[in-house]
Amino acid sequence: MKKKEEMKQERDQELSLEEAFVQIEEVIAHLETEEITLEQSFQEYNRGMQLLKHCNETIDQVEKKVLQINEDGGLDEF
Amino acid sequence: MQNVYTVAQVNSYIKNMFTQDFMLQSIRVKGEVSNCKYHSSGHIYFTLKDVKGTISCVMFSSSRSGLTFRLSEGQQVVVSGSVDVYERDGKYQLYARQIQLDGAGALYERYEQLKRELEERGMFASEYKQPIPKYIKTLGVVTAATGAAVRDIINIATRRNPYVQIILYPAIVQGEDAVPSIINGIHAMEHFHVDTIIVGRGGGSIEDLWAFNEEAVAQAIFDCPIPIISAVGHETDTTIADYVADLRAPTPSAAAELAVYDIEQLQNKLSEYNYTMQHMCKRVIQRCRKEAEQYGVRMRYLSPLNTIRMKRTQALSLEEHLQNAVEKQLQSKKHQLALYIEQMKGLSPLDKLSQGYSYVSDAFGRTLSTIEQVELGDAVTIYIKDGQLDAQITKKRKESWEN
Repeated sequence: MKKKEEMKQERDQELSLEEAFVQIEEVIAHLETEEITLEQSFQEYNRGMQLLKHCNETIDQVEKKVLQINEDGGLDEF
Repeated sequence: MQNVYTVAQVNSYIKNMFTQDFMLQSIRVKGEVSNCKYHSSGHIYFTLKDVKGTISCVMFSSSRSGLTFRLSEGQQVVVSGSVDVYERDGKYQLYARQIQLDGAGALYERYEQLKRELEERGMFASEYKQPIPKYIKTLGVVTAATGAAVRDIINIATRRNPYVQIILYPAIVQGEDAVPSIINGIHAMEHFHVDTIIVGRGGGSIEDLWAFNEEAVAQAIFDCPIPIISAVGHETDTTIADYVADLRAPTPSAAAELAVYDIEQLQNKLSEYNYTMQHMCKRVIQRCRKEAEQYGVRMRYLSPLNTIRMKRTQALSLEEHLQNAVEKQLQSKKHQLALYIEQMKGLSPLDKLSQGYSYVSDAFGRTLSTIEQVELGDAVTIYIKDGQLDAQITKKRKESWEN
Protein backbone atom coordinates (compact mmCIF):
# COMPACT_ATOMS: atom_id res chain seq x y z
CA MET A 1 0.00 0.00 0.00
CA LYS A 2 2.79 2.34 0.93
CA LYS A 3 4.64 1.39 -2.18
CA LYS A 4 1.65 2.28 -4.27
CA GLU A 5 1.51 5.67 -2.56
CA GLU A 6 5.15 6.25 -3.36
CA MET A 7 4.64 5.27 -6.95
CA LYS A 8 1.78 7.67 -7.18
CA GLN A 9 3.94 10.45 -5.81
CA GLU A 10 6.66 9.60 -8.24
CA ARG A 11 4.14 9.84 -11.00
CA ASP A 12 3.07 13.23 -9.68
CA GLN A 13 6.65 14.39 -9.83
CA GLU A 14 6.80 13.71 -13.54
CA LEU A 15 3.48 15.33 -14.19
CA SER A 16 3.62 18.53 -16.19
CA LEU A 17 1.38 21.41 -15.24
CA GLU A 18 -0.82 20.75 -18.25
CA GLU A 19 -1.26 17.12 -17.27
CA ALA A 20 -1.93 18.09 -13.67
CA PHE A 21 -4.61 20.53 -14.84
CA VAL A 22 -6.29 17.86 -16.91
CA GLN A 23 -6.35 15.60 -13.86
CA ILE A 24 -7.70 18.35 -11.60
CA GLU A 25 -10.48 18.98 -14.08
CA GLU A 26 -11.28 15.27 -13.93
CA VAL A 27 -11.32 15.33 -10.15
CA ILE A 28 -13.70 18.28 -10.17
CA ALA A 29 -15.93 16.66 -12.76
CA HIS A 30 -16.06 13.54 -10.61
CA LEU A 31 -16.84 15.58 -7.51
CA GLU A 32 -19.65 17.22 -9.41
CA THR A 33 -21.40 13.95 -10.20
CA GLU A 34 -24.41 13.06 -8.11
CA GLU A 35 -23.49 9.42 -7.60
CA ILE A 36 -20.20 10.04 -5.82
CA THR A 37 -19.95 8.49 -2.37
CA LEU A 38 -18.59 10.37 0.60
CA GLU A 39 -15.52 8.14 0.72
CA GLN A 40 -14.87 8.69 -2.96
CA SER A 41 -15.33 12.41 -2.58
CA PHE A 42 -12.74 12.49 0.18
CA GLN A 43 -10.38 10.48 -1.96
CA GLU A 44 -10.92 12.75 -4.92
CA TYR A 45 -10.52 15.85 -2.80
CA ASN A 46 -7.29 14.52 -1.39
CA ARG A 47 -6.03 13.70 -4.84
CA GLY A 48 -6.99 17.16 -6.08
CA MET A 49 -5.20 18.85 -3.19
CA GLN A 50 -2.11 16.76 -3.87
CA LEU A 51 -2.21 17.78 -7.50
CA LEU A 52 -2.55 21.42 -6.55
CA LYS A 53 0.37 21.08 -4.18
CA HIS A 54 2.34 19.51 -6.95
CA CYS A 55 1.43 22.38 -9.27
CA ASN A 56 2.57 24.92 -6.72
CA GLU A 57 5.81 23.03 -6.21
CA THR A 58 6.34 22.84 -9.95
CA ILE A 59 6.08 26.60 -10.20
CA ASP A 60 9.45 27.27 -8.69
CA GLN A 61 8.91 30.77 -7.39
CA VAL A 62 12.44 32.03 -7.19
CA GLU A 63 13.16 35.19 -9.08
CA LYS A 64 15.72 34.59 -11.76
CA LYS A 65 18.41 36.87 -13.11
CA VAL A 66 18.94 36.89 -16.85
CA LEU A 67 22.04 34.89 -17.66
CA GLN A 68 24.26 35.43 -20.63
CA ILE A 69 26.41 32.77 -22.23
CA ASN A 70 30.05 33.85 -22.29
CA GLU A 71 32.79 32.91 -24.72
CA ASP A 72 33.82 29.85 -22.69
CA GLY A 73 30.28 28.53 -22.86
CA GLY A 74 29.78 29.44 -19.22
CA LEU A 75 27.11 31.71 -17.82
CA ASP A 76 27.45 35.25 -16.52
CA GLU A 77 24.82 37.59 -15.19
CA PHE A 78 23.49 39.78 -17.94
CA MET B 1 60.28 79.25 -64.63
CA GLN B 2 57.82 76.63 -63.57
CA ASN B 3 57.68 75.32 -60.01
CA VAL B 4 58.85 71.83 -59.26
CA TYR B 5 56.74 69.86 -56.80
CA THR B 6 57.46 66.79 -54.81
CA VAL B 7 55.48 63.62 -55.42
CA ALA B 8 53.96 63.94 -52.00
CA GLN B 9 52.85 67.46 -52.72
CA VAL B 10 51.15 66.40 -55.94
CA ASN B 11 49.47 63.46 -54.32
CA SER B 12 48.34 65.62 -51.44
CA TYR B 13 46.98 68.20 -53.87
CA ILE B 14 45.06 65.57 -55.78
CA LYS B 15 43.73 64.04 -52.54
CA ASN B 16 42.50 67.44 -51.55
CA MET B 17 40.64 67.79 -54.85
CA PHE B 18 38.97 64.43 -54.27
CA THR B 19 38.07 65.33 -50.72
CA GLN B 20 36.43 68.56 -51.77
CA ASP B 21 34.37 66.81 -54.41
CA PHE B 22 30.96 66.33 -52.91
CA MET B 23 29.92 63.55 -55.26
CA LEU B 24 33.00 61.42 -54.68
CA GLN B 25 32.46 61.52 -50.92
CA SER B 26 29.20 59.67 -51.19
CA ILE B 27 28.86 57.55 -54.28
CA ARG B 28 27.28 54.33 -55.35
CA VAL B 29 29.16 52.27 -57.91
CA LYS B 30 27.99 49.10 -59.57
CA GLY B 31 30.17 46.44 -61.09
CA GLU B 32 31.45 42.90 -60.91
CA VAL B 33 33.67 41.72 -58.09
CA SER B 34 37.10 40.40 -58.96
CA ASN B 35 40.41 39.77 -57.19
CA CYS B 36 38.56 39.55 -53.92
CA LYS B 37 40.82 39.06 -50.89
CA TYR B 38 39.79 38.79 -47.26
CA HIS B 39 42.82 40.06 -45.35
CA SER B 40 43.68 38.68 -41.93
CA SER B 41 43.29 42.18 -40.54
CA GLY B 42 39.61 41.99 -41.39
CA HIS B 43 39.81 44.35 -44.33
CA ILE B 44 38.53 43.19 -47.70
CA TYR B 45 40.31 44.15 -50.88
CA PHE B 46 38.74 43.68 -54.28
CA THR B 47 38.42 45.18 -57.70
CA LEU B 48 35.19 46.35 -59.21
CA LYS B 49 35.05 46.05 -62.95
CA ASP B 50 32.80 46.38 -65.90
CA VAL B 51 33.48 46.01 -69.61
CA LYS B 52 35.14 49.38 -69.87
CA GLY B 53 37.27 49.60 -66.74
CA THR B 54 38.23 48.67 -63.22
CA ILE B 55 38.50 50.40 -59.86
CA SER B 56 40.27 49.20 -56.72
CA CYS B 57 38.09 48.84 -53.69
CA VAL B 58 38.65 48.30 -50.02
CA MET B 59 36.25 47.63 -47.18
CA PHE B 60 37.81 48.20 -43.78
CA SER B 61 36.93 45.87 -40.96
CA SER B 62 35.27 48.78 -39.21
CA SER B 63 32.72 48.91 -42.02
CA ARG B 64 32.10 45.20 -42.16
CA SER B 65 28.57 45.51 -40.81
CA GLY B 66 27.73 46.94 -44.21
CA LEU B 67 28.25 43.55 -45.79
CA THR B 68 25.67 40.86 -45.17
CA PHE B 69 26.98 38.13 -47.44
CA ARG B 70 30.29 36.59 -48.41
CA LEU B 71 31.82 38.61 -51.17
CA SER B 72 33.10 36.47 -54.01
CA GLU B 73 34.30 36.61 -57.56
CA GLY B 74 31.84 37.41 -60.28
CA GLN B 75 29.12 38.87 -58.05
CA GLN B 76 27.29 41.89 -59.41
CA VAL B 77 27.28 44.39 -56.57
CA VAL B 78 26.52 47.97 -55.76
CA VAL B 79 29.18 49.52 -53.54
CA SER B 80 28.34 52.59 -51.51
CA GLY B 81 31.22 54.64 -50.16
CA SER B 82 33.69 57.31 -51.13
CA VAL B 83 36.39 57.57 -53.71
CA ASP B 84 39.62 58.75 -52.18
CA VAL B 85 43.31 58.88 -52.87
CA TYR B 86 45.86 56.66 -51.23
CA GLU B 87 48.71 59.14 -51.21
CA ARG B 88 51.52 56.69 -50.63
CA ASP B 89 50.81 54.79 -53.86
CA GLY B 90 49.33 57.67 -55.75
CA LYS B 91 46.28 55.55 -56.30
CA TYR B 92 42.68 56.35 -55.93
CA GLN B 93 40.29 53.71 -54.70
CA LEU B 94 36.75 53.16 -53.63
CA TYR B 95 36.35 52.92 -49.86
CA ALA B 96 33.29 50.76 -49.37
CA ARG B 97 30.91 51.41 -46.50
CA GLN B 98 28.18 49.13 -47.74
CA ILE B 99 28.05 46.44 -50.38
CA GLN B 100 24.77 45.12 -51.71
CA LEU B 101 24.09 42.52 -54.34
CA ASP B 102 23.03 44.35 -57.45
CA GLY B 103 19.57 44.43 -58.83
CA ALA B 104 16.60 45.28 -56.68
CA GLY B 105 15.36 41.74 -57.06
CA ALA B 106 18.64 39.89 -56.56
CA LEU B 107 18.20 39.24 -52.84
CA TYR B 108 14.50 38.75 -53.23
CA GLU B 109 15.15 36.22 -55.94
CA ARG B 110 17.53 34.29 -53.71
CA TYR B 111 14.98 34.44 -50.94
CA GLU B 112 12.22 33.14 -53.17
CA GLN B 113 14.40 30.38 -54.54
CA LEU B 114 15.52 29.17 -51.11
CA LYS B 115 11.97 29.38 -49.83
CA ARG B 116 10.77 27.21 -52.69
CA GLU B 117 13.59 24.75 -52.17
CA LEU B 118 13.05 24.36 -48.44
CA GLU B 119 9.33 24.15 -48.89
CA GLU B 120 9.79 21.33 -51.36
CA ARG B 121 12.01 19.59 -48.84
CA GLY B 122 9.14 19.82 -46.39
CA MET B 123 10.96 21.97 -43.89
CA PHE B 124 7.94 24.24 -43.43
CA ALA B 125 5.52 21.35 -43.05
CA SER B 126 3.22 21.57 -40.09
CA GLU B 127 3.89 17.98 -39.03
CA TYR B 128 7.43 19.02 -38.09
CA LYS B 129 6.26 21.91 -35.94
CA GLN B 130 6.82 21.21 -32.29
CA PRO B 131 4.22 22.51 -29.88
CA ILE B 132 5.41 25.40 -27.73
CA PRO B 133 5.23 24.25 -24.10
CA LYS B 134 2.78 26.29 -22.13
CA TYR B 135 4.59 26.35 -18.80
CA ILE B 136 8.34 26.73 -19.12
CA LYS B 137 11.08 27.18 -16.58
CA THR B 138 13.94 28.26 -18.79
CA LEU B 139 13.84 30.42 -21.88
CA GLY B 140 16.71 30.65 -24.34
CA VAL B 141 17.09 33.90 -26.24
CA VAL B 142 19.35 34.13 -29.27
CA THR B 143 19.60 37.74 -30.31
CA ALA B 144 21.86 40.76 -30.05
CA ALA B 145 22.80 41.62 -26.47
CA THR B 146 21.99 45.25 -27.14
CA GLY B 147 19.02 46.82 -28.81
CA ALA B 148 15.29 46.93 -28.40
CA ALA B 149 14.67 43.27 -29.19
CA VAL B 150 16.47 41.83 -26.18
CA ARG B 151 15.11 44.55 -23.88
CA ASP B 152 11.55 43.90 -25.02
CA ILE B 153 11.90 40.17 -24.57
CA ILE B 154 13.40 40.45 -21.08
CA ASN B 155 10.89 43.10 -19.98
CA ILE B 156 7.85 41.21 -21.09
CA ALA B 157 9.10 37.80 -19.98
CA THR B 158 10.00 38.99 -16.47
CA ARG B 159 6.81 40.98 -16.14
CA ARG B 160 4.73 37.94 -16.96
CA ASN B 161 6.75 35.56 -14.87
CA PRO B 162 9.89 36.59 -12.95
CA TYR B 163 10.50 32.96 -12.02
CA VAL B 164 11.42 31.87 -15.53
CA GLN B 165 15.17 31.61 -16.07
CA ILE B 166 16.26 33.49 -19.16
CA ILE B 167 19.52 32.49 -20.82
CA LEU B 168 20.77 34.90 -23.45
CA TYR B 169 23.12 34.03 -26.22
CA PRO B 170 24.52 37.37 -27.36
CA ALA B 171 24.41 36.72 -31.08
CA ILE B 172 25.60 38.77 -33.99
CA VAL B 173 22.43 39.27 -35.96
CA GLN B 174 23.63 41.05 -39.07
CA GLY B 175 26.67 41.07 -41.25
CA GLU B 176 28.73 38.22 -42.41
CA ASP B 177 29.32 36.61 -39.00
CA ALA B 178 25.67 36.51 -38.19
CA VAL B 179 24.98 33.09 -39.67
CA PRO B 180 27.55 31.10 -37.63
CA SER B 181 26.74 33.19 -34.57
CA ILE B 182 23.03 32.46 -34.71
CA ILE B 183 23.70 28.77 -35.34
CA ASN B 184 26.09 28.66 -32.40
CA GLY B 185 23.46 30.31 -30.27
CA ILE B 186 20.90 27.65 -31.13
CA HIS B 187 23.41 24.88 -30.39
CA ALA B 188 24.32 26.53 -27.06
CA MET B 189 20.63 26.52 -26.09
CA GLU B 190 20.41 22.83 -26.94
CA HIS B 191 23.37 22.32 -24.65
CA PHE B 192 21.67 24.16 -21.78
CA HIS B 193 18.41 22.23 -22.32
CA VAL B 194 16.20 25.27 -22.21
CA ASP B 195 12.47 24.68 -22.63
CA THR B 196 11.85 27.13 -25.47
CA ILE B 197 14.10 29.27 -27.64
CA ILE B 198 13.39 32.68 -29.10
CA VAL B 199 15.55 33.46 -32.10
CA GLY B 200 15.31 36.90 -33.60
CA ARG B 201 16.24 40.51 -33.91
CA GLY B 202 14.63 43.89 -34.29
CA GLY B 203 13.56 45.43 -37.55
CA GLY B 204 15.85 46.42 -40.40
CA SER B 205 16.32 46.34 -44.13
CA ILE B 206 16.21 43.11 -46.06
CA GLU B 207 20.02 43.12 -45.97
CA ASP B 208 20.01 43.56 -42.18
CA LEU B 209 17.67 40.62 -41.79
CA TRP B 210 19.47 38.54 -44.34
CA ALA B 211 21.10 36.07 -41.96
CA PHE B 212 17.62 34.81 -41.15
CA ASN B 213 17.14 33.97 -44.81
CA GLU B 214 20.21 31.75 -44.98
CA GLU B 215 19.85 28.05 -45.48
CA ALA B 216 22.28 27.15 -42.68
CA VAL B 217 20.24 29.09 -40.12
CA ALA B 218 17.04 27.53 -41.41
CA GLN B 219 18.62 24.08 -41.11
CA ALA B 220 19.78 24.74 -37.54
CA ILE B 221 16.28 25.87 -36.56
CA PHE B 222 14.76 22.86 -38.28
CA ASP B 223 17.16 20.42 -36.62
CA CYS B 224 16.81 21.89 -33.15
CA PRO B 225 14.99 19.47 -30.82
CA ILE B 226 13.79 22.37 -28.67
CA PRO B 227 10.77 24.37 -29.82
CA ILE B 228 11.83 27.63 -31.44
CA ILE B 229 9.84 30.84 -31.74
CA SER B 230 11.14 33.14 -34.43
CA ALA B 231 10.83 36.88 -34.02
CA VAL B 232 12.56 38.66 -36.83
CA GLY B 233 11.97 42.32 -37.50
CA HIS B 234 8.50 43.73 -37.70
CA GLU B 235 5.23 42.08 -38.44
CA THR B 236 5.61 42.69 -42.18
CA ASP B 237 9.02 41.03 -42.46
CA THR B 238 8.77 37.33 -43.02
CA THR B 239 12.05 35.49 -43.26
CA ILE B 240 12.90 31.89 -44.09
CA ALA B 241 13.61 31.43 -40.38
CA ASP B 242 10.00 32.40 -39.66
CA TYR B 243 8.73 29.70 -42.00
CA VAL B 244 10.89 26.98 -40.56
CA ALA B 245 10.48 27.90 -36.89
CA ASP B 246 7.91 26.05 -34.79
CA LEU B 247 6.07 29.29 -34.22
CA ARG B 248 6.42 32.71 -35.77
CA ALA B 249 5.97 35.74 -33.59
CA PRO B 250 5.34 39.07 -35.32
CA THR B 251 7.74 40.91 -32.98
CA PRO B 252 10.23 40.07 -30.22
CA SER B 253 7.70 41.32 -27.63
CA ALA B 254 5.05 39.00 -28.99
CA ALA B 255 7.56 36.15 -28.90
CA ALA B 256 8.11 36.72 -25.18
CA GLU B 257 4.36 36.67 -24.62
CA LEU B 258 4.01 33.44 -26.55
CA ALA B 259 6.90 31.79 -24.73
CA VAL B 260 6.30 32.83 -21.13
CA TYR B 261 3.07 32.14 -19.29
CA ASP B 262 1.52 34.70 -17.00
CA ILE B 263 2.21 33.52 -13.44
CA GLU B 264 -0.64 35.57 -12.01
CA GLN B 265 -3.15 33.90 -14.26
CA LEU B 266 -1.78 30.52 -13.33
CA GLN B 267 -2.01 31.28 -9.63
CA ASN B 268 -5.57 32.48 -10.07
CA LYS B 269 -6.37 29.29 -11.87
CA LEU B 270 -4.88 27.21 -9.07
CA SER B 271 -6.82 29.00 -6.36
CA GLU B 272 -9.94 28.69 -8.45
CA TYR B 273 -9.37 24.96 -8.65
CA ASN B 274 -8.83 24.90 -4.92
CA TYR B 275 -12.05 26.77 -4.28
CA THR B 276 -14.05 24.62 -6.67
CA MET B 277 -12.82 21.42 -5.13
CA GLN B 278 -13.59 22.56 -1.61
CA HIS B 279 -16.98 23.75 -2.71
CA MET B 280 -17.72 20.47 -4.46
CA CYS B 281 -16.56 18.47 -1.48
CA LYS B 282 -18.71 20.52 0.88
CA ARG B 283 -21.65 19.92 -1.38
CA VAL B 284 -21.13 16.18 -1.23
CA ILE B 285 -20.86 16.32 2.55
CA GLN B 286 -24.01 18.40 2.79
CA ARG B 287 -25.85 16.04 0.53
CA CYS B 288 -24.73 13.05 2.58
CA ARG B 289 -25.69 14.80 5.81
CA LYS B 290 -29.13 15.56 4.48
CA GLU B 291 -29.54 12.00 3.33
CA ALA B 292 -28.48 10.75 6.75
CA GLU B 293 -31.02 13.05 8.37
CA GLN B 294 -33.75 11.75 6.13
CA TYR B 295 -32.81 8.20 6.98
CA GLY B 296 -32.84 9.17 10.63
CA VAL B 297 -36.37 10.46 10.31
CA ARG B 298 -37.43 7.32 8.55
CA MET B 299 -35.72 5.13 11.11
CA ARG B 300 -37.38 6.92 13.96
CA TYR B 301 -40.66 6.48 12.21
CA LEU B 302 -40.04 2.78 11.75
CA SER B 303 -38.67 2.24 15.26
CA PRO B 304 -40.62 -0.25 17.55
CA LEU B 305 -40.81 2.52 20.12
CA ASN B 306 -42.82 4.48 17.66
CA THR B 307 -45.09 1.50 17.04
CA ILE B 308 -45.60 1.07 20.76
CA ARG B 309 -46.38 4.72 21.17
CA MET B 310 -48.84 4.55 18.34
CA LYS B 311 -50.54 1.44 19.67
CA ARG B 312 -50.77 3.01 23.07
CA THR B 313 -52.40 6.07 21.66
CA GLN B 314 -54.73 3.88 19.72
CA ALA B 315 -55.59 1.91 22.86
CA LEU B 316 -56.24 5.11 24.78
CA SER B 317 -58.54 6.40 22.14
CA LEU B 318 -60.38 3.09 22.00
CA GLU B 319 -60.78 3.12 25.73
CA GLU B 320 -62.23 6.57 25.58
CA HIS B 321 -64.61 5.52 22.88
CA LEU B 322 -65.68 2.57 24.91
CA GLN B 323 -66.28 4.64 28.00
CA ASN B 324 -68.24 7.15 26.03
CA ALA B 325 -70.35 4.44 24.52
CA VAL B 326 -71.01 2.79 27.85
CA GLU B 327 -71.80 6.11 29.47
CA LYS B 328 -74.22 6.89 26.73
CA GLN B 329 -75.89 3.54 27.04
CA LEU B 330 -76.17 3.97 30.78
CA GLN B 331 -77.66 7.39 30.39
CA SER B 332 -80.20 6.24 27.91
CA LYS B 333 -81.18 3.24 30.08
CA LYS B 334 -81.52 5.48 33.10
CA HIS B 335 -83.70 7.75 31.14
CA GLN B 336 -85.84 4.93 29.90
CA LEU B 337 -86.12 3.60 33.42
CA ALA B 338 -87.35 6.97 34.62
CA LEU B 339 -89.93 6.91 31.89
CA TYR B 340 -91.03 3.42 32.90
CA ILE B 341 -91.26 4.48 36.48
CA GLU B 342 -93.52 7.34 35.53
CA GLN B 343 -95.55 5.02 33.35
CA MET B 344 -95.70 2.40 36.05
CA LYS B 345 -96.84 4.97 38.52
CA GLY B 346 -99.78 5.77 36.31
CA LEU B 347 -100.74 2.13 36.05
CA SER B 348 -100.28 1.14 39.70
CA PRO B 349 -103.35 -0.71 41.01
CA LEU B 350 -102.73 0.62 44.51
CA ASP B 351 -103.84 4.05 43.43
CA LYS B 352 -107.05 2.59 42.15
CA LEU B 353 -107.60 0.66 45.37
CA SER B 354 -107.33 3.81 47.39
CA GLN B 355 -110.21 5.23 45.45
CA GLY B 356 -112.53 2.39 46.56
CA TYR B 357 -111.82 -0.10 43.85
CA SER B 358 -110.76 -3.67 44.54
CA TYR B 359 -109.53 -6.56 42.55
CA VAL B 360 -110.21 -10.23 42.81
CA SER B 361 -107.92 -13.16 42.30
CA ASP B 362 -108.60 -16.87 42.31
CA ALA B 363 -107.00 -19.37 44.62
CA PHE B 364 -103.95 -19.43 42.39
CA GLY B 365 -103.41 -15.64 42.56
CA ARG B 366 -104.69 -15.01 39.01
CA THR B 367 -106.64 -11.82 38.62
CA LEU B 368 -110.22 -12.40 37.64
CA SER B 369 -111.38 -10.45 34.67
CA THR B 370 -114.32 -12.59 33.55
CA ILE B 371 -116.89 -14.75 35.26
CA GLU B 372 -115.81 -17.67 33.15
CA GLN B 373 -112.60 -18.01 35.25
CA VAL B 374 -114.41 -19.29 38.33
CA GLU B 375 -117.03 -21.85 39.23
CA LEU B 376 -119.56 -21.62 41.98
CA GLY B 377 -118.05 -22.48 45.35
CA ASP B 378 -114.48 -21.47 44.28
CA ALA B 379 -112.51 -19.58 46.87
CA VAL B 380 -111.33 -16.11 45.82
CA THR B 381 -109.38 -13.32 47.46
CA ILE B 382 -110.54 -9.67 47.31
CA TYR B 383 -107.82 -7.06 47.60
CA ILE B 384 -108.89 -3.66 48.95
CA LYS B 385 -107.09 -0.58 50.20
CA ASP B 386 -106.18 -1.79 53.63
CA GLY B 387 -106.08 -5.62 53.26
CA GLN B 388 -107.68 -8.69 51.71
CA LEU B 389 -110.83 -10.60 52.13
CA ASP B 390 -111.24 -14.31 51.48
CA ALA B 391 -114.62 -15.10 49.94
CA GLN B 392 -116.55 -17.85 48.15
CA ILE B 393 -118.43 -17.60 44.86
CA THR B 394 -122.06 -18.07 45.62
CA LYS B 395 -123.67 -16.86 42.43
CA LYS B 396 -122.61 -15.98 38.84
CA ARG B 397 -124.53 -13.40 36.78
CA LYS B 398 -123.59 -12.36 33.35
CA GLU B 399 -123.89 -8.61 32.71
CA SER B 400 -122.89 -6.28 30.05
CA TRP B 401 -121.81 -2.89 31.52
CA GLU B 402 -121.54 -1.17 28.30
CA ASN B 403 -124.53 0.50 26.77
